[in-house]
Amino acid sequence: MAVAATSDRVVPAPQTEPAILVVDDLVMRFVTGDGGVTALDHVSFKVKPGEFLAVIGPSGCGKSTLFSIVGGLLSGYQGSVSVAGHSIAGPHASIGMVFQEESTFPWRNVVDNVCFPLEIAGMPKAERIDRARHFISMVGLDGFEKRYPSELSGGMRQRVSMARTLASEPKILLMDEPFAALDEQTRLLLGDKVLQIQQQLKQTTLLITHNITEAVQLADRILVMTYRPGRVKRIVDIDLPRPRSSEIVSSEAFGRYVAQIWSDLREEASRGMVDDETRKLHAHDATEKRS
Amino acid sequence: MAEIVTRAPATRPWVSGVTLLRVAIVLFALVAWEVMADSGLFYRGVVPSLSAIGAALVKLLSTGDFYWNVGVTAEEIAIGLAIGGICGVIAGLVIGGNRFIAQAFEPYLYYLGPTPKIVFFPVMIMWFGVGGGSKIAMGAVSCFFPIALSVAAGMRQIDPVLIRVGFSFRANAWQMATKIYLPAMRHPIVNGLRLGLGVALIGTLLAETKLSNRGLGFLVIQAYNSFNMPLLYAILVVLFVIAIGINAVMARLVRLDDARRN
Amino acid sequence: MTTARLAPPNWLPTVVGLGSGVLVLVGVEILVRLGAINRFIVPLPSEIVLSFARVITEEDIPRRLVQTAWECLAASLLLTVFGVAIGALMHRVRLIRLACETWVAAFASAPLVLAYPLFLVLFGRSTLTIIMLAFLSGLPPVILKTVEGLTATRRVLINVGRSFKLTPAQQFWKILFPSALPTIFVGIRLGMIFALINVVAVEFLINFGGLGQLINELAERYDLPGTYAAISFVVLISIVFFIVTERAERWLRS
Repeated sequence: MAVAATSDRVVPAPQTEPAILVVDDLVMRFVTGDGGVTALDHVSFKVKPGEFLAVIGPSGCGKSTLFSIVGGLLSGYQGSVSVAGHSIAGPHASIGMVFQEESTFPWRNVVDNVCFPLEIAGMPKAERIDRARHFISMVGLDGFEKRYPSELSGGMRQRVSMARTLASEPKILLMDEPFAALDEQTRLLLGDKVLQIQQQLKQTTLLITHNITEAVQLADRILVMTYRPGRVKRIVDIDLPRPRSSEIVSSEAFGRYVAQIWSDLREEASRGMVDDETRKLHAHDATEKRS
Repeated sequence: MAEIVTRAPATRPWVSGVTLLRVAIVLFALVAWEVMADSGLFYRGVVPSLSAIGAALVKLLSTGDFYWNVGVTAEEIAIGLAIGGICGVIAGLVIGGNRFIAQAFEPYLYYLGPTPKIVFFPVMIMWFGVGGGSKIAMGAVSCFFPIALSVAAGMRQIDPVLIRVGFSFRANAWQMATKIYLPAMRHPIVNGLRLGLGVALIGTLLAETKLSNRGLGFLVIQAYNSFNMPLLYAILVVLFVIAIGINAVMARLVRLDDARRN
Repeated sequence: MTTARLAPPNWLPTVVGLGSGVLVLVGVEILVRLGAINRFIVPLPSEIVLSFARVITEEDIPRRLVQTAWECLAASLLLTVFGVAIGALMHRVRLIRLACETWVAAFASAPLVLAYPLFLVLFGRSTLTIIMLAFLSGLPPVILKTVEGLTATRRVLINVGRSFKLTPAQQFWKILFPSALPTIFVGIRLGMIFALINVVAVEFLINFGGLGQLINELAERYDLPGTYAAISFVVLISIVFFIVTERAERWLRS
């Protein structure tokens, strides 16, 4: 059952292995109608192979910008992003992205969706179907190969997207709030799935989220970001035992971590709310003056 | 949080780029035409030079005869549109107002709509003679369907609250129609009329080309029969300018009306 | 307490609708027999029905049907290929789209069929004239719908393609085009309907071709029942065509 390619992932001792993803002094400014906005302000961090890093922050902290930049979809930034020593400039084969929005191809069934990156790479048909089935099984969708996305639930579709990205066997898995549109129970269960997969594949993962429970449940380290302009506020090591499951959410240590991160976040989140309201007020005044 | 899009300031060059391309295309077309005309590749006169067409156009527009024919056609279209329009509005009101009637009879409109109405022309001739009557009938039949369908659809999207208000004031059928339904449906009705005008125009003109001795359609066939190519092109140019122009004006009116109401 | 009104059975409205049609025909039959309607203007509906068989055999309807169908098919093929190609080009090169989209929309509202005498001169009284007119009439909706469909591709799907480093060609064929297909088909269906209408209309007008020509011929022969029968036949074909394409479109959307 096990497919050969996935077994040549070496697990290094975390302390000695060099980082596989290096984000160095990232600055991103957007030019908008009313001046400009700095989304990311000198953000730097490293991710080691096999590590699960969660990036958490309030709305408006630049998380999605970070996701797009590391994924190579956005340019025009200062600083650098390097994977295994090579600086990237555009989408990179060793970075796999799972998007927040619904991203399965509605015109392909599940197995054809997952085969997609393998098809692009020119893998022969029998081999890619075999490989795809392996990953479909990994995300727990056995038996659904011939179904179309319209026949699946939201959670199942996200799993298909995940399987598709995993099928391309990226060195780094990048996920942007993949469970945002799902309900809490589904989230927890899918979180379990992600944990299983990550542990099985020793997959280096960078997860963008706004959900503290999710971050603490899944991550080895958590990067807390400030509100705009986004900076690294704090990096928290999550010392919960591995392998984990969703039962961990009821442990005391878990609760402490969540509380700690919340106290950091709350400050930033309320700054965000105040800023929002001030802007709305200004916009209202402006329209009043014009009429 | 959704993807942030870089909002770059509007770049001015695009505007003139578009105009430039359009001018280039038009110039290229005109030059290509002139080259084809002079090349002798085509059978004599099939592609006349632009100057010949221009001269014919000037000549055409300066004869009173032309305007009289335009008047004849315009009158036929107007009457046809009026008849087809009124019947269409009434049919639309009736069909749109009652679900059962709609399910029973709207399929007739829906499926008979996209058929080539010109094939009914022989029947129209039998019923209304070879004169203007058959052309008017052609126009009326052509525009009846799109107008009726637009009105029926318009009826269905009226806010039911408005209808209940009318009933609560015990308005009779006529009052309901004129004071509630029609005003609430201005947009679909005007849109239906725009479509109707388009097809009435086509129907009437085609009928004129087939069998007539007056009107713009007749002028077209006359030019064709006498192989006066420059004149044929000239008339067609005028025809197309009028048709596209009317459509554009009506679309504009609809948009202005929309903007005013919102 | 209000009593709920029983909803009428599903088939009742259709039956009523069709039944009314039959009633009208019966009414006309009676009126013509009574002499209230001149039978040289409106033949007996029963006569029309009887002449169906005659028209089908004597006037070689199968061959004519094939001819009209072939003209429609040729025009449809042309408008599909050129329409999608031009639409894709307009989508790809933004400048062309900005410059020409309104022109295409204006062309769609132009009564092209009125220029049929011109086409007669250019292409002669032939199948080519018919096909060209039908092709050009049906072209604009395909172009416009292709542009619309391609432009409406969801951003995230494009990003999936970018994240897998697709070449522009791969991006088009594997993501943009499949995503736009339902909308493109709506345009093709519209184009095909316009094509059919124009094929029959031009056949009638230039007295050449298949079914349209038949109507013209029968009318010129003063074969009243035959003319009505032929017209009914054409209307029937166009309705069938409309329904078939509607089903196909709905299937594609699912």
